Amino acid sequence: MGTRGYVLRKVVQALLTLVAVVVFNFFLFRILPADPVALLTRGAGAQLSPEEQAELRADYGLDQPLFPGQFLDFMGDTLRLDFGDSLILRPNESVVAVFVEAMWPTILLVGLSTVFSTIIGVVLGIYSGWRRGGKLDVSSMGVSLVLYSMPEFWLGMLLILLFSTTLGWFPASGHESVGSDLTGLDRLADVLNHLFLPLLTLTLAYIGEFYLVMRSSLLDVLGEDYIQTARAKGVREKFVLRRHAVRNALLPTITLIALSFGFVLGGAITVEYVFGYQGLGLLTYNALSARDYPLLQGVFLFASAAVIVMNLVADLVYGYFDPRVREA
Amino acid sequence: MRTTRRALAILVAAGMLTGLGLSGSALAQDASPSAGEEPLTFIVGLTNNMVTVNPLRAIETPEYELLSMQYNLLFGFSQDDMSAVPSLATEIPTEENGGVSADGLTWTIKIRDGVTWSDGEPLTAADIAFTYNLILDQNWSTFTNYLPFTDSITAPDDTTLLWKTTEPSIAPLIPPWIYILPEHVFGDMSKDEIKKYENFDPEAGVPVTSGPFRLVEWNKDEDWTLEANKDYFEGAPTLDRVIFKRYTNAETMVQDLRAGEIDFAESIPVELFRSLEGQEGIQTNVGGSFSYSQMSFNQCYVQKSCEQSTGHPALEDLEVRQAIAMAIDKENLVERVLGGYGTPGTTIVVPTTTFWHWEPGADALPDGDIEAANAKLDAAGYEDSDGDGVRNMPGGGENLDFRFIVRTESPDGVKAGKLITGWIDQLGITTTTQAVTDSKLIDAWLASDYDLYIWGWGPDPDPDFILSTFTTDQCGSWSDTCYSNPEYDQLYEEQRTPESPEERQGIVHEMQQILYEQVPEVVLWYDNDLQAWRSDRWEGFQFQPKPDENGDGGYALFQYGNFSYRNIKPASTGAGAAGGGSSGIPAAVWIGIIAAVVVVIGGVMFARSRGDDEDKA
Repeated sequence: MGTRGYVLRKVVQALLTLVAVVVFNFFLFRILPADPVALLTRGAGAQLSPEEQAELRADYGLDQPLFPGQFLDFMGDTLRLDFGDSLILRPNESVVAVFVEAMWPTILLVGLSTVFSTIIGVVLGIYSGWRRGGKLDVSSMGVSLVLYSMPEFWLGMLLILLFSTTLGWFPASGHESVGSDLTGLDRLADVLNHLFLPLLTLTLAYIGEFYLVMRSSLLDVLGEDYIQTARAKGVREKFVLRRHAVRNALLPTITLIALSFGFVLGGAITVEYVFGYQGLGLLTYNALSARDYPLLQGVFLFASAAVIVMNLVADLVYGYFDPRVREA
Repeated sequence: MRTTRRALAILVAAGMLTGLGLSGSALAQDASPSAGEEPLTFIVGLTNNMVTVNPLRAIETPEYELLSMQYNLLFGFSQDDMSAVPSLATEIPTEENGGVSADGLTWTIKIRDGVTWSDGEPLTAADIAFTYNLILDQNWSTFTNYLPFTDSITAPDDTTLLWKTTEPSIAPLIPPWIYILPEHVFGDMSKDEIKKYENFDPEAGVPVTSGPFRLVEWNKDEDWTLEANKDYFEGAPTLDRVIFKRYTNAETMVQDLRAGEIDFAESIPVELFRSLEGQEGIQTNVGGSFSYSQMSFNQCYVQKSCEQSTGHPALEDLEVRQAIAMAIDKENLVERVLGGYGTPGTTIVVPTTTFWHWEPGADALPDGDIEAANAKLDAAGYEDSDGDGVRNMPGGGENLDFRFIVRTESPDGVKAGKLITGWIDQLGITTTTQAVTDSKLIDAWLASDYDLYIWGWGPDPDPDFILSTFTTDQCGSWSDTCYSNPEYDQLYEEQRTPESPEERQGIVHEMQQILYEQVPEVVLWYDNDLQAWRSDRWEGFQFQPKPDENGDGGYALFQYGNFSYRNIKPASTGAGAAGGGSSGIPAAVWIGIIAAVVVVIGGVMFARSRGDDEDKA
């Protein structure tokens, strides 16, 4: 099968997965144990007359049978990217608008930390693998493992205690100072100051993953015959590493990086929670606590779609870098 | 290929920088340039969210806090004991001053002159009549209870409100907890329109308010800013702004209080509160308890709607309910669940409202007396007739096995549930505990499909509402248990039309006594609200109600009113700078750091490409 067949197959697979997610999303939020009308009236449902309740049900199409009535409505709305209005958290605001508003802080935070941790993790992983058993390898291995296994929220709390409470260098919460009238560069600095601790937490927490994958994949490659061949040809060690080893060892890391970017839209729930950073993670948390199901449904769908798309990208990139995959 | 990749990397780096720059300048545009001095700003941290600023939809604590800052009541709640005091009304109407007619059916209330809305329109008696009539005409059921027996409410002139009732009533002095709305804003709206009305549009001068502060900025789920009304009729606040900053976790809130990012922290969990006690520059405050937690027994036996009730038949028996109440060690609950910050509960009228609260005397049921409880059950004929270790209904009926519901949203309730089921177990009664969400509990409660559950109330300062929840016709509405007692219903009606406050007090006491003795539910505890603030920066807090001799029991903020907000001022002693100081490194340093990173990355890539070229050569 040629390149075109490979791409086509991957795209179709991704689309099928997306449809499955949409269908799952529909049923997931309809088997949840709560009456949407009771939720809508926030526990004061008892005060509504049966007629008023019936009216509300009709408004939201809840009087129709789950299948096909509600299901077809839902699929139609999804295709039109109409996810309705948030019920409780942001009454009368559209789910898409609420999502987009929370998306940028998360892209800034999770996106940047993924970029930083990728660069640092991959570079460290390469040096560690290359100088296996050396001082840098031993120490970075230990540190990475500790950071990787440490719960993010705990790391976050420790950093708050150190940098915010004790040293007073950086603010512990929010994405900018409340009530400040800063403008221009001062405002930018304020945003960066607030970004610093959550960004540091996430970057530290993510480094380990990239580092470990890069290091072990490089070690695998360094043991291959063609590396020995290259060395036997007299290629300088630096170029053995750069031309032959790293290029091949990067493949698993590329998949991991692409997938990580897919997860950006999932937000970083624990870190956003600890730092009160208003992104998609906190939005998900808030929507869940408020039982705002339409909002949750939208957030879940976008987050899953992002993962599926980036997964597709990973597959395609992998296929590009490693022709063997296309033939498989 | 290599060149493309490098170009790409540079593009990405440049893009990130411009992205940051853009977001910076975009942010800068919507910030108003600071003119002159920094406004005097007080920042309150809290963990509750504010979802709506529509006065008729308010439910959550921060929403009510905002109402008390933005709007006014006809009568307010006094600072010392929450009794009715003049607010928009100029005096408390009595028969002597001609405020109440001899038959008790007509109330003539004098309204303040010269109060204006934030848009300059005058606030008159017509606005008050409009608001009350709106509640009644559109049937806003959360509020209609405040306006019972109403025949008509009218405003014959700007400073007179005429309220006619069909029965002699004390309702005007309860007082109605309904904030007065501007008729010129809400006047033409249908109920549906009001439900959907956001009531926040700073560009258009909305909300239109009368209170000492007004909402000017609202970053949903994050923070909201109120600006002082320097023309406020009860006196201009010293503060220029109050900002509420909402935290998703109390831990970070307390760290921010320590770091000085915020000035006040509300509703602090016990462990964190302990860590703040005795800290320099921080004042902790054990606030009064306006709320209670209760364990309710299914009492849905008599009403028509109780046909589908699944309550255990043993719970119909007073002896069983009393025995269970006796097994509960309330002191122990307060100690182990609330860390001591609370008091054991007795009745549904909180002791903070001293005038109305009734406390059982010498004939009080014993607390935590398992032995006496067992003896009571033995005497009532509940024996383990089938020898399976569980008591049976008298005459060898079914096991005493109860379904016990606790709320996942209340860790305190879950903890208490564990302790209580342990004690009930020692009575030879088994329980199955189910921890559920609020909405699930609402379902079970409305269908009377439970035996026991733990929930709580934060009642009004006046006992009328909370007492009403035990009347028969509240079953399926606000009633905790579907308790029904004609004598109690009768007393409830009587306390609404008393001759004097003392007479009403007597009836209210009697009603509490009935509930205490009949045990439709066990009031477990009254919990304290724990607050702390930067005393090195601020002073002038006004406490409500009056603190006890230990200085406890008064709320510094989140009161029935806005006493503190109008009086908080910078501390005269101490060097603490006023306002939330923001930590962080300055813009110039950040620019330096970013420039350094770009130079390093560029340098590395340049060196690499040179290296490759050398290799080729």
